[in-house]
Amino acid sequence: MIKLENITLRYGEKLILDRFSLELPGRGFTALSGPSGCGKTTLLRVLAGLAAPECGTVSGIDPARTAFLFQEDRLLPWRTVRQHIADVLPRARRGEVGKWLAFAEMEGEGDACPAGLSGGMARRLALARCAALGGELLLLDEPFAGVDPARTARMLERLRALDAPVVLASHQPQVLSACERMIALDGPPLVQI
Amino acid sequence: MRFGLKKALQAAAPPALWLGVWQLAALAAGRELLLPGPLAVGERLLVLAGTADFWLSVGSTLGRVFLGLLWGALAGAALAFATHFSPWADRLISPAIRVVRATPVVSFILLVYLWVARSAIPWVIAGLMVLPVVWGALGAGLDSLDKQLLEFARAYRFTRFKTLRLVCLPALRPQFAAGLLTAFGLAWKSGVAAEVLCPPAYAIGSRIQQAKLGLETADLFAWTLAIVALSLALEKLLRQVLKRGDRA
Repeated sequence: MIKLENITLRYGEKLILDRFSLELPGRGFTALSGPSGCGKTTLLRVLAGLAAPECGTVSGIDPARTAFLFQEDRLLPWRTVRQHIADVLPRARRGEVGKWLAFAEMEGEGDACPAGLSGGMARRLALARCAALGGELLLLDEPFAGVDPARTARMLERLRALDAPVVLASHQPQVLSACERMIALDGPPLVQI
Repeated sequence: MRFGLKKALQAAAPPALWLGVWQLAALAAGRELLLPGPLAVGERLLVLAGTADFWLSVGSTLGRVFLGLLWGALAGAALAFATHFSPWADRLISPAIRVVRATPVVSFILLVYLWVARSAIPWVIAGLMVLPVVWGALGAGLDSLDKQLLEFARAYRFTRFKTLRLVCLPALRPQFAAGLLTAFGLAWKSGVAAEVLCPPAYAIGSRIQQAKLGLETADLFAWTLAIVALSLALEKLLRQVLKRGDRA
């Protein structure tokens, strides 16, 4: 079980989390839903150790063992699709590049650079790169934004087959309905649920 | 055919115009000592290019300029990283580099003359002119590095070396290339200027100085022409090398 207890966090003057507490199961798919700007991304960033709260504790998770998919694709313009995957794999797992290209349904785009990809392709690559990095928990911020529904369904199945716990933030009903647990957020600031 | 002719005319028109202006000015001056015409200069250049001394001087000057470019670029790059990542290095070193940038090249040549061997002055001076340019270009590049990509590298557990290799260096390449091209022009000019003021045994600058002392105006023009041609050719070569590096 992952626990956030009495987390307070501000961006400048703006209070985003106000003594916020939450328990998340350490397995299956958990969705965070809510209107834009309600604090979903901030919550994911706290879990990934990318945002430091003013006070409060996070337990049951080592941020260094999480894989975080940013809301933006954050691809390197000078690296090819294949290199993006290889860059996050340890040397012993470099042979898995093909497997992750298939995960993203991008076997034919291995030598393309991000400038040559559509928005949906770039998102699939970012998600495959995150999944290839792997970890004890996958934190995914809008993982299927711009991806067509059929591919979203297939990639959700592949994601489930990885058997890693997932916490994701999304606005897409198709994605939310695929999760075992949904937490509706209403902020900012997010307060005790 | 007509298109080819038009293109050839467009390419030939500017040099033809300026060579014509030069020839008319030379005729108006009336004395080769004051202003030799393009034909006389071309003739002298051909004669000079047939001597071993010409190529030895050209080779030596090129060697000094490239040595200056190399050490100036390496030192500029190292200091750009130091001043970007260390506030103390920034406080201590940045003002000194700005002083170097603002100091006239002639002052440097005369000062360096007191401290280093005559043959080393041109490459020391060329490097001193290159250093602030590369430092400034890379410093601006480092300031504008994409913070989101740096955060991505941290979140995906890239080592510092990996972040430098995969994120920072490719992002800095355009600024570095632009800085290096500007610096090359400066290295070339300042290196030859240093050779004129502190002439080594074999150098284009030394030959210019000799031509001036002997009132050989046609030689002076011929050497200047050689410098301009070499500078343009090498800049083009450097541009192609940098472009090839971009594609790799």
